[in-house]
Amino acid sequence: MNAKANKNHVTSIEPAYYQAVTEAIRKEAVKILKDETVVGVVGYLPGRRQGTASPALVTTVEEAEKLIFSPACVNNLSVYLTKAKKGVLKQGKVGIVAKGCDMRALAGLMTESQLQREDLFIIGVVCPGVYGFGVERTGTLTEANIARKCRECTVHMPEGADVAAGTHTELADLTPEEAEEMARIEAMPQAERWAFWKEHFSRCIRCMACRQVCPFCYCEQCLCDKNRPQAVESSPRPAGNMAWHLVRAMHLAGRCGGCAECERVCPMDIPLNLLNRRMAKELKELYDFEAGLAPVDKGPLNQYKEDDDQSFIK
Amino acid sequence: MHGEHIKHDFEPKIVAFVCTWCTYAGADLAGTSRMQYPPNVRVLKFPCTGRIDPVFILRAFQKGADGVLVSGCHPGDCHYMAGNFHARRRFAAFRALLDFVGVDLNRLQFSWVSAAEGGKWVDVVTELTERVRTMGPMPEFKELEHEEQWSTFAEATADKSQVLNTPELKEAYDSIG
Repeated sequence: MNAKANKNHVTSIEPAYYQAVTEAIRKEAVKILKDETVVGVVGYLPGRRQGTASPALVTTVEEAEKLIFSPACVNNLSVYLTKAKKGVLKQGKVGIVAKGCDMRALAGLMTESQLQREDLFIIGVVCPGVYGFGVERTGTLTEANIARKCRECTVHMPEGADVAAGTHTELADLTPEEAEEMARIEAMPQAERWAFWKEHFSRCIRCMACRQVCPFCYCEQCLCDKNRPQAVESSPRPAGNMAWHLVRAMHLAGRCGGCAECERVCPMDIPLNLLNRRMAKELKELYDFEAGLAPVDKGPLNQYKEDDDQSFIK
Repeated sequence: MHGEHIKHDFEPKIVAFVCTWCTYAGADLAGTSRMQYPPNVRVLKFPCTGRIDPVFILRAFQKGADGVLVSGCHPGDCHYMAGNFHARRRFAAFRALLDFVGVDLNRLQFSWVSAAEGGKWVDVVTELTERVRTMGPMPEFKELEHEEQWSTFAEATADKSQVLNTPELKEAYDSIG
């Protein structure tokens, strides 16, 4: 982003950085709770185990002083503000702690009129990255334990937040794993691509965790739960799984902010974010649209231009 | 007009999702004009191409279609002003997705056919049918339909290396004896 020029490259992110961010978040959260700007703040509290953090809604100053930010703060908190969980917003204006990728979700939700900017107080976090899954959760964040999505993050600096906590720091020389993986799949012959995805989707157990954790899956009734008519088979069988994941990717096309929460919560290790990334890349190429950089009037699939590409239409 | 009837071992199933205002009328015109075209196509009529959800296309493939045609009004001719423009973007994205998961896009055809273009309807349907005929049946989705992941899992456990490919699982399996 625009801060790229003066960024700091380091080989590990020391706990001191997160401590500074934590202090900044606490200070801001206490302030806005005290002066009654907000009725609560959605943030992270320390988890029960070492190296974890859990999302929480804090409503008192005492609680706000316990808020933290650490590399374990992986959750995208914007999911607590969407329609299905709208209890949080009922009481009045709320504060929310948001990393760059979570800001994209917030901007997307504003685009879709699910949130109003004036109902939110956004404490942006200048995030150097978070832990990946199944890695050593020691104090420092290094190339070895950073999440896949953070390796190619373009939104370290949250834009459009009310306040930003932290200074710009990021890890040096990260290999863009997802971009490489996507290029590898795209280069495969078509039959191999099918085999690749078939293997992955066949393992799906249809726990729907990807749907529950996604800030954009806020429909009160999901198409995939309907059985009259049944569009997508709901049992964990290969045919229905393929349909579900394609429908999911299609519904997120041009909306997904790339927080990769779906991939994080997937118990079967299906690389779901690759599908989302592929769609994002396609819409960027076709319609020059990137989701969630700022709230816009309409997403790319809700609008059109008369001279859109139609070379595939006879 | 009456082409000689060629015998083929494979008759492709083509599903056509068409817009009622133009392509359906175009197909109707082809019929009333007694134009000949392959009988492999099953026509499903929709109020607008904008109503055609990518799910329908998936469903068609799952239920045994070898090829799918989606056809609507030319840009600017939409009865609902912009349904086809929206559909155009949606299908452009959907094609990219299908391609990414490894579906041959030659089996999926989009076209604009107006109510006056009976001839074009015949051309599009004939071309798609013949193309799919040379490509042969589409096995991918049909195979998925008949697969049961957990039963193949049960079968595969006989060969430990097939399923138990992580050290932890292997150890656990071996400890059962």
